[in-house]
Order: sequence, then C-alpha cells, then structure tokens
Amino acid sequence: MPKNQFVHHDEMRKAGKIKFTDIPVNQYKKTIKQELEEGNFTKKDLLGIYEDMLAIREFETMLQTIKLEANYNGKDFTYPGPSHLAIGEEATAVGQAYLLDENDFIFGTHRSHHEVIAKGLSCIRKMSDKKLIEIMESVQGGRIYKLIKEKSTAKNTKDLARDFFLYGLMAELFAKDNGFSRGLGGSMHAFFLPFGIFPNNAIVGGSAPVGTGVALFKKCNKKKGVIVANAGDGAAARGPVYESMNFANMDQYRELWEDGYKGGLPIIYNFNNNSYGMGGQTKGETMAYGELARLGAMAKNGMHAERVDGWNPLALIDAYRRLKPVAESGEGPVLLDVVTYRLSGHSTSDVMSYRTKEELEEWQAHDPIVAYPADLIKAGAATKKDIEKAQKVAAERNRAMFELASDLEISPYTDYKEHPDFIENFMFSREKAPKLSDDKPDVWLTKEENPRVQQIKNKARYAYDEKGKEYSKAKVFSIRDALFEPILDKFYEDPTLVAYGEDVRYWNGAFSVYRGLTEALPYHRLFNAPISESAIVGTAVGYGMAGGRALVELMYADFIGCAGDEIFNQLAKWQAMSAGGLKMPVVLRVSVGSKYGAQHSQDWTALCNHIPGLQVVFPATPYDAKGLMTTALNGTDPVVFFESQRIYDMGERFHKEGVPTESYEIPFGEPDIKKEGKDITILTIGATLYRVMDAVKILEEKYGISAEVIDARSVTPFNYEKVIESVKKTGKILLASDAVTRGSVLNDFSHNISELCFDYLDAPPAIVGAENWITPPFEYDAEFFPQVSWILDAINEKLIPLKGHVSTKNYTPTEQIRKAKLGV
Amino acid sequence: MATGVLMPKVGITVESCVITKWYKKEGDAVSAGDVLFAYETDKASVEEEAKVDGTLIKIFAGEGADVPCLTNVAVIGNPGEDYSQFAPATEEEEEEKAEEPAAEVVKTEAKAEETPAAAPVKRAEGEILKISPRARTLAAKLGVDPNLVAGTGPYGRIVSSDIEAAAKDGKVFTKAALGAEGAANVSGTGIGGRVTLSDLANAPAAAEAAPVAEYEDVPLSNVRKIIARSMTTSLSTMAQLTNNTSFDASALLKYRKLLKEKGEALGVNGITISDIIIYAVSRTLKNHRSLNAHLLDDKMRYFNGVHIGIACDTERGLLVPTLFNADKMSLLEISKKSKEIIADTKAGKVSPDLLQGASFTVSNLGTMGIESFTPVINPPQTGILGLCATVERVRTVNGQITTYPAMGLSLTYDHRAVDGAPASLFLKELCTNLENIDLLLAK
Repeated sequence: MPKNQFVHHDEMRKAGKIKFTDIPVNQYKKTIKQELEEGNFTKKDLLGIYEDMLAIREFETMLQTIKLEANYNGKDFTYPGPSHLAIGEEATAVGQAYLLDENDFIFGTHRSHHEVIAKGLSCIRKMSDKKLIEIMESVQGGRIYKLIKEKSTAKNTKDLARDFFLYGLMAELFAKDNGFSRGLGGSMHAFFLPFGIFPNNAIVGGSAPVGTGVALFKKCNKKKGVIVANAGDGAAARGPVYESMNFANMDQYRELWEDGYKGGLPIIYNFNNNSYGMGGQTKGETMAYGELARLGAMAKNGMHAERVDGWNPLALIDAYRRLKPVAESGEGPVLLDVVTYRLSGHSTSDVMSYRTKEELEEWQAHDPIVAYPADLIKAGAATKKDIEKAQKVAAERNRAMFELASDLEISPYTDYKEHPDFIENFMFSREKAPKLSDDKPDVWLTKEENPRVQQIKNKARYAYDEKGKEYSKAKVFSIRDALFEPILDKFYEDPTLVAYGEDVRYWNGAFSVYRGLTEALPYHRLFNAPISESAIVGTAVGYGMAGGRALVELMYADFIGCAGDEIFNQLAKWQAMSAGGLKMPVVLRVSVGSKYGAQHSQDWTALCNHIPGLQVVFPATPYDAKGLMTTALNGTDPVVFFESQRIYDMGERFHKEGVPTESYEIPFGEPDIKKEGKDITILTIGATLYRVMDAVKILEEKYGISAEVIDARSVTPFNYEKVIESVKKTGKILLASDAVTRGSVLNDFSHNISELCFDYLDAPPAIVGAENWITPPFEYDAEFFPQVSWILDAINEKLIPLKGHVSTKNYTPTEQIRKAKLGV
Repeated sequence: MATGVLMPKVGITVESCVITKWYKKEGDAVSAGDVLFAYETDKASVEEEAKVDGTLIKIFAGEGADVPCLTNVAVIGNPGEDYSQFAPATEEEEEEKAEEPAAEVVKTEAKAEETPAAAPVKRAEGEILKISPRARTLAAKLGVDPNLVAGTGPYGRIVSSDIEAAAKDGKVFTKAALGAEGAANVSGTGIGGRVTLSDLANAPAAAEAAPVAEYEDVPLSNVRKIIARSMTTSLSTMAQLTNNTSFDASALLKYRKLLKEKGEALGVNGITISDIIIYAVSRTLKNHRSLNAHLLDDKMRYFNGVHIGIACDTERGLLVPTLFNADKMSLLEISKKSKEIIADTKAGKVSPDLLQGASFTVSNLGTMGIESFTPVINPPQTGILGLCATVERVRTVNGQITTYPAMGLSLTYDHRAVDGAPASLFLKELCTNLENIDLLLAK
C-alpha cells in the first residue's frame, strides 16, 4: 500500500454498522406495446429476437436428436463430444447479445452454444455487408466463405453470413477441419473473435478471470466496449470468480490510478442462473447466498447487482441498456443474476434424478420459444404468418448447414496421418514480437533518469576483478539487476506491457527485482494485485489473449498451486485450442524460496514441464537471466520463468565478458556449458549449479576427475544435442536440482539421456535432488536440499568409485527401494 | 663326424619355420631317410628326413620353436661328440625369445586389487556380466572380451576405462574369433594379443588342463602368424576398396545343371560353379591386365598368363594355392586341376611353390551364404574377387514382377594400381560373360 493511504486507528476501531442498498429483483414491468411506443424496438427488431431464439432452438434440438438418435433430418450421424444444451435458455442469450457489438466481448461456459449463436447473429445484424465480407474472406484464408458462397442459397450478404457463421460453428462442434478453430475447440470452447465472441471455458467459472483480464486490457489500452463474462449459478461457488470480481473492482482504480484510467474494469459478470450446478441445486442445497444477486454486496458499490428475468428477452435487454453504460463508464463492474431455466438435461446423458416431472412441466408451460411469439402476436407486433415464416427459415437454415457440416467430402475431418504435426504446429506461436502496439509507451521518467539504472551503472558486470577476487554483493551486477534491465527496456518498448502481482509496486516485488520501476511507471502499467493468484494468472491470460503483453508474478513458486487452473488449463491451452487464433504473450515469474519452510521453498518446474503448452525456463546466472527474460518478453508464447531466492544477489561468474549492457536474447531450450571437462558430465537446473561447481572443484583437486558442467537453463523446450555430445565424451552423467527427486524434471531428462546415449553410458544417469519430504526449517536445509557432499556421494556410488571417499548419504539401491516403498 | 641338421628353406620367401613335432629324441640312432621332425612353413606342413646315419646327439630347438631357415635345429653324430660349433647363435636365441614372448605356455591366476583390469575374472554360476553399454560398445570396437575383464565401476560394473586397460593388456579377439562359440575362455595369442580362431581350436584342451587358470597363452601357429602378418601388411600398405555387384546367374546355373545331369558320360559332371567362374575370370582378366598384375615398389608387373590363386579354408588357416595359366586351360582342365591342388592344400601336402605366384585371387564365401564381403588382397597382387551367395532378386519384366537368381561378386582392388572405373569395367565385363556363359565357352 502506498504511504499516502493512512490506516487510521480510531476509524478502524470505531463502532457503527454497514448499510447495504437494496438489490432489485425482476423489476422490469414494461409491456411490448410500451416498448414499441417508447421507440426502444421496431416490430422488425422484436421479430428478429424471435428469429435468433429459433436459430438456437433448432441448433440445440439438432444436437439433442443426434445424440439420442444418431440421426438428424433423415441422415445418420454421430457426434461423440459434449452437448451441454441450452434448450429453454434461448431468450437469455438473445437478450444479452441484443445490444452488444463486435467491440463487446463475451466469454462463455461449457453451456454456451446459445450465447455464441446469439452474439454472432446480433453482430451480423449490426455489421455492414462490406465488413461481413471482409471478415468471411479473412477467416481461414477465405476457404469457408468460398464453400458457403458455392453451397448457400442465401440471397443477401447477411443471410450468407448467417449460413457462414452457423456452418463454421457446427463444423467446429463436429471436430471438422473447417471449424472456426479447426475443430480443436469444439462444443465447450467454440468462439469467433471477429464477432467479439471469446473462448468458452469448460472449467466452471473459468471465464471470470480470463474475461477480467480482457477487461483490464481494454482499460489499460483504452479500448472500446465491455466484457460479458458468462457463468452459471454453480460458478458462484468458485474462488477464482470472487477473486476476479474483486480484481475488477479494486479500490486502487478509483483511489490511485491516474486520470483517464480511473474506475472499475468494464465487465459484466453475467450469471445465467438456471438454479442448477449440473444437478446440484444451488439455492437450497449447495449455496449460501439465498439469491445470487446478493453477491454484489461483496463490493462497496454493490456491483450494481440485479436479478433480471432472463426468460423475458426484453427484460434482459432493458437491464443491458441500463447497465452496459455503467460498466463501460468505470462505475462497474456489474453483476447480473439472470433467471433462466434449462428444459433439456445438463447433458444428453442426464436422467434428471434431481428434479421432478412436475417442476419441468411447470417451466415448459412458459417456454419462451412459445410464449414470446404469442406475446408478439398479442401485442400486434407480428402476425402468425411472420412467426411461421421465421420458424421455416430457421429450420431450413439449420438443416442445410447440417448437410454441409456433416458431409465428409465437403467438411472432412483433419487427416492426422497426412498432417501428423497438425496440433504440434499450434502448441506454440513461436513469434518474435518485441512490441504489440505502435503507441508511445506511457512512462514517467527517461531510462537514464531512473535511480536504479544510475545505481546499476556503477556495478561490476563480471563477478571477479582483474586479480580474480570476487566483488562484494553490493558492488556486483546481480541476477536481480539482470532481470530488471530487460523488464525496464520492455516497458519503454512495448506500450501494452503491464506488470502486476503481489507487492510489486511499493515493495518492488518481495525480492526487489522491480526497484526503480515504481518511479518510472504509472499505475495502469505496474500495480499491486490482490492476493489472488487465480486472478493474477487468469487476468494475464485474458490480457495476453486480447493482444497485450503481461508480466505477472506469484512471488513464491509454491503459489502455483493457488493458480493451478489458470496456469495449467488456461495459460497453457488457448493457443492450441484456438488453432493458432489466439496468442499468449504472458510471462509468469515464480520464485523458488529458501528458508521459509514447506510451503515456501518448492521448485515446481516438474509440474509446469508436465503440462503441454508452457515454456519453462530457470536461469541461474545474471547473463542467462537477462538473455532469457529478453527472449521471454519478445515472444508470443507463455513462459513460466523460474527464479531462485538463493541467488538473486549472485554476480556473473561464468561469462567472462560480463553481462552486456545492451539487449540480447538467449534462445529457449539451449543448455549452456558452464565448464568444460572430460570425465563426467553434470547437468543442473537452477541454483544447484553453484553447489555442483563446488563439488567439481573437489572432484578435480582431490580425485583428478575432470567434470563438464552444463546448465539446462530451459526445461521446456530442451535441446539434448549438447548433452548428448558431452555424454558421448564422458560416458557418465549426474543431474542435479533442488526439486524433490520423485517425478522431477531430472527424471525426464535422465530418461531421455538414457535412451539417446544408451550405448555411450558407463552407468545409468545419476540423479541428485531434494528429499521427497516437506521442506524442513532452514536450520535443516542441508538435510533436505542437495549438498556438495551428496553430489560426491552419488558419483562415488553410482558413477565412478572415488578412492578413499567416505559417503555420508545413502545412495544404494536398497535405500532407493526402501524409500520408494514408503513413498518418501 | 657330426653333422648339423638345418631347418630347410622351402620357399624363396620362407624366413622361418616352426617345429611341430620331433619323431626322434636326443640319443636315438637315426638312419638317412628317417623322419626327424615335422615343421610348418608359412604355408605348408613338411617333414624333414635325416640326411645321414648316426645318433641324434643334440636338439637345439624343441617343439613349438620358430626357427629361422638354414639354422641348425639338431646335430647327428657319434654319442659324446662335441656339437658346440653347430649351436645356433645365442644372440639370435635371445632375440627370438624377445620377439616371441608367447612361445611359452603361461598360466596366470587372477590377482585381486592390484591390477584388476588386467586380471581375468571368474564369475559365480548364474552371475550376469555387469558391463556398461559404453564399455560393451568399446569392447566390440577394440575386440576386447569383457569376460576377461574385471569391473571397477559402481557395483563391480565393467566400465569403459576397464576395457581400455584390457585392450592395452591384450584381452582382445580377432574379428573371426569373436563370433565363435566358446570364445570367452580363451586367451589371445594373435596380433596385439588378439584371440584367434586357432586359439579357439586349442581351447578345450587348455580349459581341461587348467581348470584353475583363467587363461592360457598358446604359441601362435606359423600359418596363423603368416596370415596375420600378410593381412595386416595388405591392409596397412595398400589402398584397398571393394566394389560389389551381382549378375543374373540363370544361365550359369542352367549350364551347371546340364553338366551335372548329363555330363557324366563326358566326365564333366564334376565341374563346379567356382570352376566356371574361374574360367570366366581367367578369360576376362586378359582384357584387364592391371588386375592381372603385381604392384611392386616402383613398377607394375603385368603377367602374360593368368594365374589364379584359390583361397582355401584349411584346418590350419587360410591357404591360397595357385592355378597357373588358367587362361590356357579348358573348363574341364580348370576343374580337374583346381580340385587336385585344393585337395593337396587341405591335406597339407601342397608344394610351397604352388602357394605363391598367383596374379589374381578368387575367394568363395558364397557357399556359406555370405551375400557380400570385403576380400583382402594377397600382396603384391592388385585384386581379389569374392564370390558371394546366390539370392533370389526381384525385377520387372514387361511390367511383370519376376524373380531371378542373383549371384554377388565383391571385387577388392588396390587403388594405387587400379582406378575405380577400370576395376568396374572388369566387373561389368565379367558379369556379362557370366550371364552369357554359353557364348563365352564357345569362344
């Protein structure tokens, strides 16, 4: 917290009470006639709402039929994927989309076909023919457009666009190569960016942090439009959703951020409340809120929360007409509790063990797809003929597009045999994009004026002086400085770069890497995040997805656990799930602790390495830290950037020319030979390098064994060639890192090396990692983390018997088996 | 008067011979014509008879001794007579010993700790050989038998440094011996201590005689020494390379079948494939004189006739008798003559003079199923032709896939004497001749 915000003793301890303002519940009272009289809608608009509802009903009914009968429209067809249908929720989606345009972005859930279709059709109504054609031509090189032009019977551009959109969506669901994401997104991840439809998220509540990040991007980069983060009522139980709603509404936006950037994030948390989280009833069973809208009370501004009748599209449109400007103006965010009901099951395998027939029939009696057109006719807004025509058009369009999307010739599946690298090519975007916008970066100082820059000028960029004496910590250019330099440079290069995390602004990050940034950067580029790891990473995902570059940090690597979904399911996946449609220029800094015990000292490179789609690096020297950070910040792929608290103050001991002042990249995946040798290879990850160097000295001086030391630097990707070369020479390799041994990256490396160098090995690769325990207090550090003696012991036991060496650590096979049996 | 018994010089190039057996012992009365001892030249086994009557009063060189030609091996005279003047020079003896440290049978027991890498190893029954992949690869490369090596790596595993030490120590095999059964328990007497096939032949007896000893040094047979020397010289002094090809053996096989089935009356039914090929080679070589030649220090010696060396596998090792003037022989003559000299060679009674003088060599491994190999030239010849196995090959004829018998030929030639193109031309012409053997025979 900044010092200008005083925490008053008297204020904090004063008696009083907190007053809440009333939360409106279903207050919409207007009739269709009134709406027409007020000029809010034309008859055509009202009929259009029905047409869009019908498109959804047709689509969902088609899926239900296919799932249950393996046939639709007389044609056998199977679709094995998910089908979380929204039959009954059509009005809810169309009402939401009615006022949104392509600058307003929606995010969905596992049940979002209706939201996607409604938003797409709404955009098609609003867009010019020219714009629509431009979009259709740009999607997948125009091949879908070409196909639809040839096959469609549409007589105008808008109808053609409707065919195009429905077809692309259907093909996506059916996992066809012509899908908008080449079939890699599917039902639960369908989206279409040109119409402002962002990815649906199959993780409950997953859209909240990601959508919040896009809202942050809009705010920080002054982009038009609001975000609608859709969620079900079940998602109201998810922590990341609360984290996000708080993140979007932090006091600092109003109290601290500069003029022009003041106000809450432009986002509407739209809970489509169908009273069920899968089959669990929220109100009455799993939730405590009574009414979902009450959750707005978590914020001072009440989040303008309302319960709105989502079964009346006009009620929802009314709410959006009033509240979208609120969200856009910075008064938000907004929370909507939208009443809806699904007449279909949670999925087609739902046997409805959780609700009665009577309940269902009661809601069916008010099915909007019947009630709304009846109201239109009653109000004289449409004729029976209009309604019947709309039904016919919707049914015919859906059937025609199904014929195309289900056809194996017209819409083939991706041939993986022909394109074995199909997904491989989408796992990373592999672009170099030093800046993501040409705008002028917003900074407060010139780089030269920066006090940290001036301080660094006097530091020694190589650890040793001419006489070989090591500079003191105070005088040496450290890893801390080496991280600061490329980050500062990037702030002056890429105007979209934002950095946030816990205590990054005034504390300068818990380990002072950011010292000097506070003076240089406005709040909207560097700010303290709430202690909300899910929101920190999830918003970064959204920020990157929206076209910005985010540098976020989790302080301790252990907190990866708090942001598990956001790192493993969101950050890692969206580039490939969008078939390359989305980029993810996000750098996630995590620091491996020491001294702070079991929950603050874990090297979790293995967890990140395990998840496809993440790049994982772990520099151990200033030279590598700077080069790898530069690469990370120039790229468009997600990076989990590991640092070690043991060595933030370490000078450059290896690169004799010192750490260059100018910018340079170190390519990911390239290990570095820190010391050449001929008898044994030692491959390290992270700070263990320095203990290995000490062990190497003993090996050489006492045992005459010459060791080659390779620093992995990167975990994913990793180029084995240098290691293979070395092992071919030495025939022996030891791998060391501070991660607990079981399941560590070393095992992965070791396995690959065994395979790649089998005939060159004199012994299986030996691994020295931490014990498979909790980290004990720092007083027992040497009992838990790899030590110099452990490295020698392992070499003696497993690689080269060292004459006269007395082992202190038990590396025998018996011990290995015993420990494994006990799971320790 | 005492008479020295000389080790004869049985061929121009023979420098020394090994005494394989004494039939007489010191003090025995001998008469001229009695067989005194048997000896091996580099190429043949011969018996030496006494030239005079008397008593065998001294034997200078015992069984297994390698004696330079024209050196005294014994003295025949009257009992008690002074024989000192016949004694071979002491210096030479010592030199001989120094050169031939393996002449004595040495039994060595494993020594622990001190020099483990050099010590052969005894493993308990059922105990597997612990050896690192790297060491295994290196052992194969250096021809080291890992069974003779003690491991110094973790858990007693044999590691690469153990193999390196063993290689220096001589625990190695020749290539041929390495593949043979029972190679593990034999100690090497070949070049650089390599275990040779002949060592393997001697192995069972050695193993029985010395159950405690892990290895046994056995003197190298003379033939093997010569082969080794000759092969090494060949490979280390010449620029050898091998061209492999194959030809359609349909006509050849058909002709051979004809001979076999209908040739009895004419006495031509014993003509073999090898004979036919030697015939074709002798004819074809006439057009390729650089392959029918010797490369001497500063000159090429082209031969007017074609003298084919025929590589024979004998009990004592590889011997190559010569079929002189094969180009002037009919096919039947070639067949008869080569059968005769091969039989003599196998029996060990071929004249040493026939074991040299060839202008080109033919070696047949095809009968053993070898599909391609690298024959090694007998210096100073410039080429050697390897006959390989006949295999079914596929080819298209008029769009139809058909099979035909393809016989492989491997020609090694000395690139110092012959370039690739002329060597290939020879092979090509040979193939053409063989594929049209009827036409060639009609010439």
